[in-house]
Amino acid sequence: MSTASEVQAPARLTAWSRSRGWLTNPWGRPRFLVLFTWAYMIWALVPVLIAVQFSFNDSRSRTVWQGFSTRWYWGDPVDSVWHDPSLRNALVQSLKLATADVLIATPIGVLLAIGLARWTGWGSRPSNFLMLFPLVTPEIVMGVSLLLLFTNVFTFVGTGTPAQILGHVTFSISYVVVIVRGRLFSIGRQYEEAAADLGASPTVALTRVLLPLLTPAIIASAAVVFAISIDDFVISQWLSSGGATDTVPIQIYAATRAAPLPSTNAIATVMMVLTLVSVTAGYLVWRAFTRGERRPERKAAEEAGAALQMG
Amino acid sequence: MYRRWLWPGFAFPGIVWLIILFVVPFYAVVAVAFGTVDPVLLQPVPLWNPLEWNVGWILEVLGRLAPGAEFFGVAVRTIVYVGIALFLSLLIGYPVAYYIARHAGRTKTLLLILLIAPLWINYLMRMLAWVNLLAPDGYVNRFLTFTHVLPEPRDWLGGRASTVILALVYGYIPFMILPLYAALDRIDRSHLEAARDLGASRLSTFFHVTLPLSKTGILGGAVLIALPMFGDYYTPNVVSGAPQTSMIGNQIDFYFHYGGQPTIGAALTVVLAAFLTVLMAYYLWTIHKASQEARTA
Amino acid sequence: MTRHPKERLDYLSRRDFLLRTAGAATALSGASGILAACSSETTAETTTGASGEPVGPGGLPLARPDKRVTMPLWEDPIESGLEPERGGTFTVFNYPAYLYKKLLNEFCEKYDVEPQYTPFDNISSGIQRLASGAVTPDVMEMTPDNLSRAVAGELIKPLNLDYIPNLQKNVWPDLVSPFYDVDSHYTVPYTIYATGIAWRTDKVKEDIAAMAQPWDIFWEADAYRGKVGLLSEERETIGMALLRRGILDINTEDTQLIDRAVADLKQLYDVCNIKVDDIQYQAIPEGTSWLHQAWSGDMIAGYIYYLPKGTPATALGFWSPEKGKVPVQNDCWSICATTKKPVLSHLWLNYILDNGVAYSNFVDFNGYQPPLNEIDPSTLVSKGVVPEHLANSVLTNDDLGRDSLQYGTLTARGQQIWQDAYSSFTAAG
Repeated sequence: MSTASEVQAPARLTAWSRSRGWLTNPWGRPRFLVLFTWAYMIWALVPVLIAVQFSFNDSRSRTVWQGFSTRWYWGDPVDSVWHDPSLRNALVQSLKLATADVLIATPIGVLLAIGLARWTGWGSRPSNFLMLFPLVTPEIVMGVSLLLLFTNVFTFVGTGTPAQILGHVTFSISYVVVIVRGRLFSIGRQYEEAAADLGASPTVALTRVLLPLLTPAIIASAAVVFAISIDDFVISQWLSSGGATDTVPIQIYAATRAAPLPSTNAIATVMMVLTLVSVTAGYLVWRAFTRGERRPERKAAEEAGAALQMG
Repeated sequence: MYRRWLWPGFAFPGIVWLIILFVVPFYAVVAVAFGTVDPVLLQPVPLWNPLEWNVGWILEVLGRLAPGAEFFGVAVRTIVYVGIALFLSLLIGYPVAYYIARHAGRTKTLLLILLIAPLWINYLMRMLAWVNLLAPDGYVNRFLTFTHVLPEPRDWLGGRASTVILALVYGYIPFMILPLYAALDRIDRSHLEAARDLGASRLSTFFHVTLPLSKTGILGGAVLIALPMFGDYYTPNVVSGAPQTSMIGNQIDFYFHYGGQPTIGAALTVVLAAFLTVLMAYYLWTIHKASQEARTA
Repeated sequence: MTRHPKERLDYLSRRDFLLRTAGAATALSGASGILAACSSETTAETTTGASGEPVGPGGLPLARPDKRVTMPLWEDPIESGLEPERGGTFTVFNYPAYLYKKLLNEFCEKYDVEPQYTPFDNISSGIQRLASGAVTPDVMEMTPDNLSRAVAGELIKPLNLDYIPNLQKNVWPDLVSPFYDVDSHYTVPYTIYATGIAWRTDKVKEDIAAMAQPWDIFWEADAYRGKVGLLSEERETIGMALLRRGILDINTEDTQLIDRAVADLKQLYDVCNIKVDDIQYQAIPEGTSWLHQAWSGDMIAGYIYYLPKGTPATALGFWSPEKGKVPVQNDCWSICATTKKPVLSHLWLNYILDNGVAYSNFVDFNGYQPPLNEIDPSTLVSKGVVPEHLANSVLTNDDLGRDSLQYGTLTARGQQIWQDAYSSFTAAG
């Protein structure tokens, strides 16, 4: 390992990167960084907490606190999340789409992940490329293309719930593949080969050895798919056929543009709680299932891999 | 041990799904963009055979993107907004990622959780949070007038470019920080130790070792947020609502939902996708070069 | 330094990825050569009929207040005497806050169907979504200037007036067979309104009604930056700029006039950070907007329904130009071709013209006057339905005569010109 060449390596420094470097490290001690990082965390999260706070506001205002009340959740007979039919329908529709998405995308994605990870023949590279493409496609491009597809080509589908489900599954598959594939890489082929050495048939090796090992990844990806489906806005909006097929993000969008009530904050809070619960559950299941594998040297590598997948 | 067709067989349902619902729709957009228009309702008539394609609408849209024409201002404005938002995201995100990756120690897990949390909070809820805060009687104005930074409440939501850019930064920065963190986290300590052993100061180590090694992370994060940002239309609508802060995504949204000319919307989408493909290709070429350099080094 | 196995594999797949993309990118760039060889056209259909007169979509003549037009029937109306369909859903396609949902719920309860309400942001958006097949409603709120398009595109069904006796019984005689739809083949009237300016009297200092050209207030509104809005309607917004210049032909297709109107509108970005939306009926009472182009029903609706506690009714102001210079219109209801419940849809049209129902829609929620004989405009103020300072929001039969200013159907080319002009304004390019 040549350290000299590493140090000399690339560095064509521009004035831009130089000044930025100075900014990030003026005193050569991380104290500034600590403050900066915590300031960022506060900036990133406190506004949302304030929005949650105002969902419990006793008046119609979202800016002036006038006491604690749960009227926007179930109390108010006209405008609360429980009583306002459009908000309730949106909640139901969001959950419907998310559930359908998980049930369809997870199996397809798991199979695709296993297939892509092991397949080495012709077609595997284009397939891999195809799978990665939805992750980098801007949502509006996907929304436009799916809308035109369902109104000009597959007109028997049209817009509405089936179209929304199909759209959600399409962008969810890639997330499942990325998560499951990461797990496949860390497992390796060793266990299946050991099973084969011990006389197991391919089917047994797959179902009794590989699948159980993949379980944490499958559950984690299901949780992730649920979360991204609930939070999806663009695809749901473009494929919506009106009132009954509007999801919660669409309601939040419409209300924020017109004149939001704290009930908008309330339904957003409900969604947020559901999403965080789902993600946390997935993460905890993952940790529970991979308990035995968590030795120090593996842990670092796994965390890096996991963070990379999510990035 | 396994049959040869097993793995392609596994991949088959997923690939077929993606072809039918991802590749074919792209072709539908292209077919509409290169199609004709039903004269009564101005609805698109897609042309599937490439030999019949009508380039009139694409040329029309390209003409409108020319300097001085209708879309030129929007396009420039979009590029400016995305550029500034990218720069600010990097400026704010890099120190955070750097700290968490290299110095966090015991609080690392907590910070990672806090870092990932915004990804799972609905984008629109985060925008709603800011709309509430930036309202004329919201906390921001109240704080600023209380501390006498501002003489009177400022109208943040009245169609300001600064509000839109800050909203974009706020919305997309978590997606920038994670790749940055991942890249910085993977930098081997031994590289830095070697640099220090050879006498480089902390600053110098940062410039000469850390920064270049994190270049792929920077580019990755930049691409990861630039691509969706170019198609963003809901952020300006939510925090501004004025035409003078509209982005190119608003125009596509307009032609599909209001303007009654989906063909122009499709043509604009094709042009936007082509532009983004160019950006994407540049990113991949840079990665390719960087990996080649790394391998020869 | 050896790489961790996982890193190595990730690295490998990324290289695959980039090689494939590079290949795709080069393939795409080669396609441009093929494109050059293809045809190129963007023009709409011909816009003059056999007699040399301009015609609208589908070759239908352009209806104007002094030029009556009968809509042809593209299919036969349903037969009389059929039973209304029951069960399932009944979908109404309309502006968001333009119908009292309680009335819809009562109607649907009576016929044992589930009510659905699908909103559109503005009428062009509604027609667009209907035409593209994105929505499949039963009934839709319609405007006369879009009627030809809807009929030519076979988007709405012809009516069998046997199911709608209230049309003849209750509606103003002039609107039973209006100029844009002689013999009411496709529509029944819904509300009447004029277009003007709404503002917060406690925030806007100018006396708008007393100005030489009140429309100029938008161009002098720098004190109210960020609180000024125009309607998000392509006809109304550009039409306002035309009226401000004294041009009374709001159906003009003269590109010079329209371009100048758009240029005028674009000045508003710098003057007052102009916003464009249709929420003035709520925004003005709530104070999030102080000055907005509005329809005459908006401030009445604001007074009835949206005024927060503590804001006096006198805070709402409305002005519209005098007769002959004010755009007036009546909205309509129509039955969509996608309906699976045609009989029930006819009954809905009859229901909405019922005196009690229309009155409740008006005074309990909508604020827009229905053109019914029993609702006497001259008594609305004295009965307290409309507050006195908003008396100018009330319209009479007189206002919709032959010499009234109404937005009418344009030729296909004209439609494109106005649409592109509006898009140019909203693009702020």
